Amino acid sequence: MVQRNIKSEIDSKLHDPILRSNLERFSEQYPIARAKAYANVDSIEDLRDDLRDMKRYSVAHIEKLADEFQASLEKRGAKVFRAKDGDELKEQLMAICRENNVHNIVKSKSMATEEIRLNDYLEEKGLHVKETDLGEWMLSVAGQHPSHMVMPAIHLNRKQCAKFFSDELKEDIPSDIPFMVQTARKVMRKEFLKADMGISGANFGIAENGAIGLVTNEGNARIVTTLPPVHVIIIGYEKLIPKVSDASKIMRLLPRNGTGQRMVSYLTLVDGPTPIIHEKNGKLIEENKKVYAILLDNGRLKAAHDPVMKEVYQCVRCASCLNVCPIWSTVGGNVYGHIYSGGIGAILTGLLNGMDEFAQFSDLCIGCRRCTTVCPGKINIPDLIQELRNRRVAQKGLSTPEKIIFRRIMTNRKIFHSLLRAASLGQKPVKSGKFIRNLPLFFAKMTEGRSLPAIADKPFRDRAEELFKKNPTNPKMRVAFFSGCNLDFVFPETGESVVKVLQDIGAEVVYPQKQNCCGKPVVGAGDLDTARKLAKQNIKAMEETNADYIVAACPTCAETLKQTYKELFASDPVWLKRAEAMSKKVVEFTVFVEKAYAKENRLKDVQGMKKITYHDSCHMKRSLGIYKEPRELLNSAAGYKFVEMHGADQCCGMAGSFGMKYADLSKQLLNRKIDNIKQSGADTVAVACPACMMQIGGGLDKNAPEIKVKHIADILAENLK
Amino acid sequence: MKKICHEWQKYLDKGFIDKKYWESFKENAQAASVELKEIKSYDEALPIIEALIDEVNAQKLAGVGQDDSKAIMNIYHELGKKHQIYTDKFAITENAPILDIGISTAEFGVGETGSICVDNYSYEARLVSMLPPINIVFMNKNNIVDTMTEAFEILEQVFDKGYTGFVTGPSRTSDIERVLTLGVHGPSRLILFAVDE
Ligand code: SF4
Repeated sequence: MVQRNIKSEIDSKLHDPILRSNLERFSEQYPIARAKAYANVDSIEDLRDDLRDMKRYSVAHIEKLADEFQASLEKRGAKVFRAKDGDELKEQLMAICRENNVHNIVKSKSMATEEIRLNDYLEEKGLHVKETDLGEWMLSVAGQHPSHMVMPAIHLNRKQCAKFFSDELKEDIPSDIPFMVQTARKVMRKEFLKADMGISGANFGIAENGAIGLVTNEGNARIVTTLPPVHVIIIGYEKLIPKVSDASKIMRLLPRNGTGQRMVSYLTLVDGPTPIIHEKNGKLIEENKKVYAILLDNGRLKAAHDPVMKEVYQCVRCASCLNVCPIWSTVGGNVYGHIYSGGIGAILTGLLNGMDEFAQFSDLCIGCRRCTTVCPGKINIPDLIQELRNRRVAQKGLSTPEKIIFRRIMTNRKIFHSLLRAASLGQKPVKSGKFIRNLPLFFAKMTEGRSLPAIADKPFRDRAEELFKKNPTNPKMRVAFFSGCNLDFVFPETGESVVKVLQDIGAEVVYPQKQNCCGKPVVGAGDLDTARKLAKQNIKAMEETNADYIVAACPTCAETLKQTYKELFASDPVWLKRAEAMSKKVVEFTVFVEKAYAKENRLKDVQGMKKITYHDSCHMKRSLGIYKEPRELLNSAAGYKFVEMHGADQCCGMAGSFGMKYADLSKQLLNRKIDNIKQSGADTVAVACPACMMQIGGGLDKNAPEIKVKHIADILAENLK
Repeated sequence: MKKICHEWQKYLDKGFIDKKYWESFKENAQAASVELKEIKSYDEALPIIEALIDEVNAQKLAGVGQDDSKAIMNIYHELGKKHQIYTDKFAITENAPILDIGISTAEFGVGETGSICVDNYSYEARLVSMLPPINIVFMNKNNIVDTMTEAFEILEQVFDKGYTGFVTGPSRTSDIERVLTLGVHGPSRLILFAVDE
């Protein structure tokens, strides 16, 4: 495996203006096209559920379906092989080529064959192989890889395409799109007419009758499966479905999600050998063509039996997860694996091409979860990536600095916190080097275009006692405040606001001093043992308070306490019980306050002088599903007028250590966010997440210092006496 | 002509088709660049085809589906008086690369998407619908189902082996700068006669 330099690859993509403008234009258009395509469907959710359920059934019965598919095809006169990996498939295919005296092959898009680099192999063997999908053809001429599963050449412009045409055809082809397309038609038509074998993939294979479905707009798959006398189907196990009627479950979603079409131009269904009329011994005869199918395993069957990873079988390769991915739409698909890109690409690469390859770019998923809102198969892409990372750590271990920081420092709260305090004084060994980069607060390096906040002089934990003197005398409830590292050490004033707001709704607030980092950064790095230690510390600390509620004003902490701890202790019944008991008490700050305000009739539509907008944190909106409550609260904040910004729920680019490691890329996402904030005309942008506050605050500071970023707690506290 | 099913109508009539789906079929088909011609009877197609032949200066035509429909056979017969039209499968094959217009048939339409279901078990049906730059298709206007779900429920009953599928407008690509361009491999024009039989 080649050791790649992903950072420099990303850098070159960030400086590719053609790529950038193509992707930007597309990601603006895509959501609109998708919505329009779904406009005549009753419930997208029902369709997604149907697809997911059907695919779940399929993977649970994969061997049975494979046997049935094979038997169906054999009964109809096709030959079926199974290949455990690329090498075996190549041998089987070569045997078929020899048997049928094949020289010229036309192919219609098949990702499985790209996964095993089939074309290179066939060409080495002296065969003439042509891709017939226009985009794939151009890329094969250019020696490039597809950057998208559905729009392989989206990173190119017409001039570049014209150059590939000219090089291949050895004549000057002008960069006129219709002319190029007509040229391609003529060139490819010749290939079709002389081909003696057609190779196709399959979008689905139906077990009950052995038919395959091929989805194209160009229609090349129809010609590939019609003209040549031999047809070879190369199909991965994940494409098998039980019945003919199940195909509609794919087809109602795939085109709408993939390209924003209600249907593609051609959905071709081929089942077994079909007639062909061709010349034999000088005269035209009609006979059945030869059909072969090769079922490719290459890691798929192992995935099918993996309780977590079997979810990848729900993928129909629509690529919509890329279309909405902030990273893909900034740098394109070529920075991922050689064929499968985006988040799902990372997973597929890990399962099918190997974990070493996966590990090189797996951290390009920032966990924003946008993909999970569109994926037709309802795959939890970021969770599967996290699972693979965890396994990698379990297998290969952590890097040394991570090991020291997570295991020795973070689990020892006293050392950890005294180091953080030392950081506030700018003490050398702490501020430089690896320590700070791996901290849960990513405030180390100052980067161009974004200033990062420093550690506060006096952390929240040292201010707490003073604040609690103002606890109500007749409290309605007892609330334990879980600050998380950011509100404790970076934004203690916001922590103070939280307390004020809670006290105002009648809460007696307590702050368990023994609380530690929630553990999210450690979970993210895959060190689950350390995460469990932190979880135990926090559960103990919270139990000791005997509070009615545990409130966190950081969505990441809230999610970790409420959800992740239970997962961490899934096989430890004693701690699971304690985690569950705590989980019931955990409430995110805005949800807690909104409910109280609603009860007290304090929610109203206020039209103040200062315009305020709201940025949805990825975790808040898509993990916790909270987006209404913050808006309700802002709507009723005295002195403010609430306005929505464009792309309110797009990631600000912080996303944990990602923002540090890929600072330039993170900055691009931040710039997009800042532009949207500016365009909203707001003077203040509200957030409910301290990490977003850090990132956006840093961006505003450099680019639009007149706009302020505030945590909702600060806004609510402003209006309290 | 070889088909995956010779009794499509019998299955369509099991409560799948309804006139009320026509409007959405029309809207979706047109959105997918289908040139839709609503006609009362097959003879009405003749002058339209004649005009098209003039317009594109077509020299060679080919058509399938005459053995299942007297009306279509009649059209081919009439066209054959003035033009070169191949209807024999071997003749179609021989001339396939140089055809200007191919004429074929569809079994039913899908309201939700504007797609037509084509039974292309026969080799010649695939040739005439894919190779020439223009594909003319005849379909019974009353044979429209609601969504792809119903469409596949029908296929579930009739599709045992062979070659079928759905066509939704002409062949298209957006692979260069996402600019929509028609006719990359298959026809650049799909003209659909919806005959109100
Ligand atoms: S993971 Fe989901 S969204 Fe991504 S390609 Fe697969 S089906 Fe489409």
